[in-house]
Amino acid sequence: MNILQLLRHISVKHLRHQKARSLMALIGIALGVAAMVSIDIVNMSVLRSFEDNINRITGRAVLQVTDAESGFPEAMLDVVQKVPGVEYAVPVIETNGCLAWGDERAFAVLGVDVLQDGNIRDYSITDESSDIPDPLLFLARPDSILLTREMAAREHIAIDQQIKVQTVQGTRTFTVRGLLEPDGPAKALGGDIAVMDLYAAQLAFGKEGRIDRIDVSILRGESLDTMKERIQAALPEGYNIDTPAGRSRQMENLMGRFRKSMDMIGYLALFVGMYLIYNTVAISVVQRGREIGILRALGATRRQVSGLFLGETVVLSLAASLLGIGLGIILAKISITAVARTVSSMYGRSSITDLTIIPLHLAKDIAIGVAASVIAAFFPSRSSSRISPISAIRSTPYSSDALRRHRGLTIASLAFIGIAGAILLVYKTAAHASPLRSSSMTIAAMLSLLLGISLSTPLFLRRFISMFHRLFAGRLGAGGRLAGLNLEKNLTRNAVAVAAVFFSISLSVSSSSLLFSVQKGLMDYIDDVERSDVLITSGHPLASAGAQTIPMPLEMALEIEAIPGVDAADPFRKLFITISGRRVLLEAIDIPRWLKRNTVKVVKGMQGDVGTMMPGKDVISVSESVASRYGLKPGDHFTLPTPQGPVRFLVISVVVSFASDSGVIFIDYQTFRRIWQDHNADMFSVYVRPGNDVIDVRDAIRELYKDKRKMFVLDSREFRAEIKKLLDQSFEMNNAVNLLTLAIAGFGIIITLLASVFERTREIGILRSIGMKRGQVSGLVLIESALLGLAGGLLGTFAGVLTGWINLEGFFRLDFGDSISYQVHYLSICWALLLAVGLAVLAGLYPARRAAKTNITEALSYE
Amino acid sequence: MNSLPVQSAKCGMRNGRQLRNAPQPRSTSAALVFLRVLCVSVVISVFSSPAFAISGRDIFEKVHEVSVKGLDHEISMTMVLFDKNGGKRTRTLTSYSKNAAPEAYKALAVFKTPPDLKNVGFLVHARTFSNRDLWAYFPEFKRVRRIANTSQDDSFFGSDLSYDDFTGPANLDDFKFSLEREEVVDGKPCYVVEVTPKTRRKYTRYLAWVAKDLWVQVKIEYYQDRDIYRSGTFKNVRLINGIPTPFRSEMENRKTNHRTELTIDNIRYNTQFSDDLFTQRSLERAGK
Repeated sequence: MNILQLLRHISVKHLRHQKARSLMALIGIALGVAAMVSIDIVNMSVLRSFEDNINRITGRAVLQVTDAESGFPEAMLDVVQKVPGVEYAVPVIETNGCLAWGDERAFAVLGVDVLQDGNIRDYSITDESSDIPDPLLFLARPDSILLTREMAAREHIAIDQQIKVQTVQGTRTFTVRGLLEPDGPAKALGGDIAVMDLYAAQLAFGKEGRIDRIDVSILRGESLDTMKERIQAALPEGYNIDTPAGRSRQMENLMGRFRKSMDMIGYLALFVGMYLIYNTVAISVVQRGREIGILRALGATRRQVSGLFLGETVVLSLAASLLGIGLGIILAKISITAVARTVSSMYGRSSITDLTIIPLHLAKDIAIGVAASVIAAFFPSRSSSRISPISAIRSTPYSSDALRRHRGLTIASLAFIGIAGAILLVYKTAAHASPLRSSSMTIAAMLSLLLGISLSTPLFLRRFISMFHRLFAGRLGAGGRLAGLNLEKNLTRNAVAVAAVFFSISLSVSSSSLLFSVQKGLMDYIDDVERSDVLITSGHPLASAGAQTIPMPLEMALEIEAIPGVDAADPFRKLFITISGRRVLLEAIDIPRWLKRNTVKVVKGMQGDVGTMMPGKDVISVSESVASRYGLKPGDHFTLPTPQGPVRFLVISVVVSFASDSGVIFIDYQTFRRIWQDHNADMFSVYVRPGNDVIDVRDAIRELYKDKRKMFVLDSREFRAEIKKLLDQSFEMNNAVNLLTLAIAGFGIIITLLASVFERTREIGILRSIGMKRGQVSGLVLIESALLGLAGGLLGTFAGVLTGWINLEGFFRLDFGDSISYQVHYLSICWALLLAVGLAVLAGLYPARRAAKTNITEALSYE
Repeated sequence: MNSLPVQSAKCGMRNGRQLRNAPQPRSTSAALVFLRVLCVSVVISVFSSPAFAISGRDIFEKVHEVSVKGLDHEISMTMVLFDKNGGKRTRTLTSYSKNAAPEAYKALAVFKTPPDLKNVGFLVHARTFSNRDLWAYFPEFKRVRRIANTSQDDSFFGSDLSYDDFTGPANLDDFKFSLEREEVVDGKPCYVVEVTPKTRRKYTRYLAWVAKDLWVQVKIEYYQDRDIYRSGTFKNVRLINGIPTPFRSEMENRKTNHRTELTIDNIRYNTQFSDDLFTQRSLERAGK
């Protein structure tokens, strides 16, 4: 009889009889695959959306010249236009605005030289396809703006209507001169885009004489690389010449951490699915021991028996993976809007109209789902083949089989834990720039560690029970002693339930410790660097530069300082610069003013130098990650691209900063203004004079700018609460996975205990017949359940503390530096243990009830 | 801009040989047709060949040969744009043009009203009839800007005239001409000539009704395959300094139902302007 015949004759019957458990395993794997699929689709859709937007906005341009986000002199346009081989070079301003009414919808503003831009982009203000009644007026008036038809319809805006828009210059009134049909750039960003003539945009957005980008098309026959070199040679050093695809890649890099954490959640979900498969197959092996024995006695080989279980797993996981694909697509559809909103506020405007589904990725997810299931089923299916026919038919305890199996498991467990240790060692000793120092390494280490600890659960459970016997069993009476013995009797099956609890508790402990560490680190950092009473930001308080922020003019500081009760309003500017193709956040702070009230944590260098050497000079401080990436130390010189060409700065210190995962360079605000010729601020730190009420001052600021500009005015308490809320939000997905794993762990306990109750029907009948009361039987099962929960909880706490540290290494220290310290959250550990026991007891209620209801006569005649 | 009545430049080839050698096509449109009217009216006294003995190409060559006479001019005009809902926008402008031999021509147009457009100007330097530079000046920005040499068939800033109508003569070698029939339009006997561009244009062909008595176009229809895309009429033709000049012309975009009316308020030929009038500096000063 071959495997297929065995599957048809035996497995189908078994699946039919064990519908609930098979269904749960199927759902488990399906959820794991669904999580992977949805995360992949969401990631791809977000990236494709960025790519699509970039392509639509860049039109036929094959190269783009950019500098710092503050823009560069438009004189560079002439330089590029004169480079041999350049077909067209057109200037672009790309910035943000938002409507000053209703839901204050934000949109991108594309400022282009309308008279030249048709050479690059597919639209024309004079074409019939655009509804622009008077293109001449559009060009002649600086208040002219074009909206997309989609946006106009959504906001009920008509041609010739005046609209109020928040700009860097405050609220400005524009006249809608026409509507663009959804084509070319007008189709980008879901229609949330406005087009202005370049020179009008320069005036409106405070960029007179400056442009953000030059879009270049090249003559036929010229190679891209040659043209890049020629343009690079013609321009001063520091300008970045890249293809639109390169810009997409930059955005991909910027989103790297976000993607990594999403991927991590996908893997964890699949890991949970693996537990379910392991659980299902292991219990199936235990329950079908007699059947296996008969098969073996009838001549079935070990390979055939093992193949039978693996075959069942393949069929089940294939069906589950297919279900997971469907579920994943639905999940992606549900979550895409929320993800797009987060990405837009944190990284850059994104509009996702369609889901990007790549068949190859789906095939990969199916393969991973099946492979993970087969791996999970491998050990229990192999153990099934080792059951001796006689012991199986007699239903004798398989202690000898289990013992051998446990030895193997212990070796495997140690091997996986060893691998995890080795990976971490390699990771910690690798250079910062090395590909070995990546979060993929820490993910691998973490999964290996979890697998290793999972495999050690039988061993751990045996030790745990023996300790229980020694210390507590006697105090709980006959029930306690019997509970311990029962758990010991079916160690493998109970270990699976413990593993499920362990996994869920480890995730919970890990994420709470991680969150606690990040929260504490970030709050301590903010307490050091941001001691203002009121904070005014132009965008999301934690947004990256370049996201939907509209900088504020520096002059606002004077207006704010004129408000009664305000002592000072310190400006703060942040923008990204590109160094060797990588973006780094440049933070400009008025150092002398700032240091009066705040402190900076210097890791390398002299603390006092920051205050004495930086103001007004070509001196910078760098964050730990920048220092590590570029091998910088105090006293070194580092050249930065500036609008005036490359400028050599002295590195005075290495400091702690959690402001960006791209790394941070600090510069004095006066130096920044001198070199960048940028007179804007993204944030003002407002200090209130002693004796004045912070809330009154905050309200006065809000009142002053109520109708002038959109901005966040938060007192320090609100600011901290906002940051905490954001951090909590970023862990919401983790919490969802934690809940899922807890539910799965609960199911695992129910299945294990139910199987145990059914198996011990006769034994329970005897106990009842010799006088054990229903309550005592029920208590016995509940004690077993609580013990399983406690064992899983203890192991999970241990693993969670370790994986929390690994996560901190791979997801935070890598990007923010080593200053962030790991903090174990003891309170959450207590809660986790209580939760584990409570959940286990809750899960044990139903099996306990079933056991208590056992009919003595029927039970004694069982088997 | 070489605004409508200045379109004599469009048919203003020095001679037939030069026309055939000019490398790039230029469409006929409202302004071109308008100018053709001027040219033809001059030609009328010279040519008296029987209609049946003439080809489509001959008709257009004759029109072009005399059009150059209208290149030196100053015209004040009123342009009214009507949208499909009946809304209208009125603007007045003055156009100056100069025969710039040995180069082609130079032209300057300055808007006078409405206030929003006052002193907005356009400058054209046509080195040859196929090679021209365009600049615009917008006083609010105090900046002279170059206009890309993009699609010559696109609308000229919201009017129903194309860029090509405003920027110079066509090269007849880039078109095929076919005398289709003879018709009477508004009591005037006309040749109906089908003109087909040899290269891809926004239109596939156009029909021009050329009045036999004045050699002036009185009607024009542009087609995209079988559908009419734009159409125009040229009326109230008067002889000014011997140059037939349509004082009222109209062009309609049949797709958008948008219409442009152009009326000459004042015209002066043989102006002999200095080159200084056609500089970027002059553009910034609105021709002053």
